[in-house]
Amino acid sequence: MSSIRLQTLWLSAVVATCVVTGAVAQGTGSAPPAAPATSTATATPRTPAPRDAYVYIGWPLDGATVYSNHVKVWFGTRNFGVAPAGVSVKNTGHHHLLIDAPLPPLDQPIPSDSHHLHFGLGQTETVIELPPGTHTLQLLMGDADHIPHDPPVTSKRITINVRAAPTH
Amino acid sequence: MRRTWALAAMLAGTLLAGRAALAQQSTMPPDAKVYIIWPGDGQVIKGAFWVRMGLSGAGIAPAGVEKANTGHHHLIVDADLPPLDQPIPNDHNHLHFGLGQTEARLDLPPGKHTLQLLLADANHVPHQPPLYSKRITVTVVQ
Repeated sequence: MSSIRLQTLWLSAVVATCVVTGAVAQGTGSAPPAAPATSTATATPRTPAPRDAYVYIGWPLDGATVYSNHVKVWFGTRNFGVAPAGVSVKNTGHHHLLIDAPLPPLDQPIPSDSHHLHFGLGQTETVIELPPGTHTLQLLMGDADHIPHDPPVTSKRITINVRAAPTH
Repeated sequence: MRRTWALAAMLAGTLLAGRAALAQQSTMPPDAKVYIIWPGDGQVIKGAFWVRMGLSGAGIAPAGVEKANTGHHHLIVDADLPPLDQPIPNDHNHLHFGLGQTEARLDLPPGKHTLQLLLADANHVPHQPPLYSKRITVTVVQ
């Protein structure tokens, strides 16, 4: 009687161990394929973008002189869609406007500061305030986690001249 | 056909939104504005062209994505505004940009055509109050 009970206990222990190891094996087994789909800050695979996707600054034009400290910038997106930050939909991203800054590292979340403006609501235009002088503007798309796509979807870096509004 | 589509859309909307009833329309910031950046009203265009869709004071989100103060573009070609409390029809006169696109290539037959943008929410239902652009007229020549 007691040996049967012992055997039952041993069996249940074996079953329990199998279940646990099974769960662990399943966990480790499913983790790598899931990684490319959801890129996190630690994961290196970036969200793919179609080769023909591109963004451009529709306004102002490269080399333009703007007679105002407030500059309207509109973001052009072609062969690609716009989605708010945090939203993972294939072939979409949200805009980042780089002001007087080079491209940041493309395998990390885009910094968020006065030189890297985020448009996480899915905005497609903005008005920025710039001091008089020469400034550069460039667009860079980020995925749901603010990480650039692969290949990166970025615009030409344009230069504009801001002059004070003429006074009479 | 039209009724079938509406029923399908209602079903899809119910599945996507769950509790959100179609009667309850999404809202937008009061200063939000949708407009056609290009072409301009009255423009004469040769051949196929790109329509550039502008939105200020709000954001773009693909269809099916529920997020406050966002929507996706619909381009109405040669048609009046559809009913503003129902999902926008999906046909040659009502183009949907459910991926969150902000540009569209149009190849229209020569002649006069009207274009108008209408923004809609995750379920393709216009906001309340509705956000639509001025209806412009362009002339396509060969």
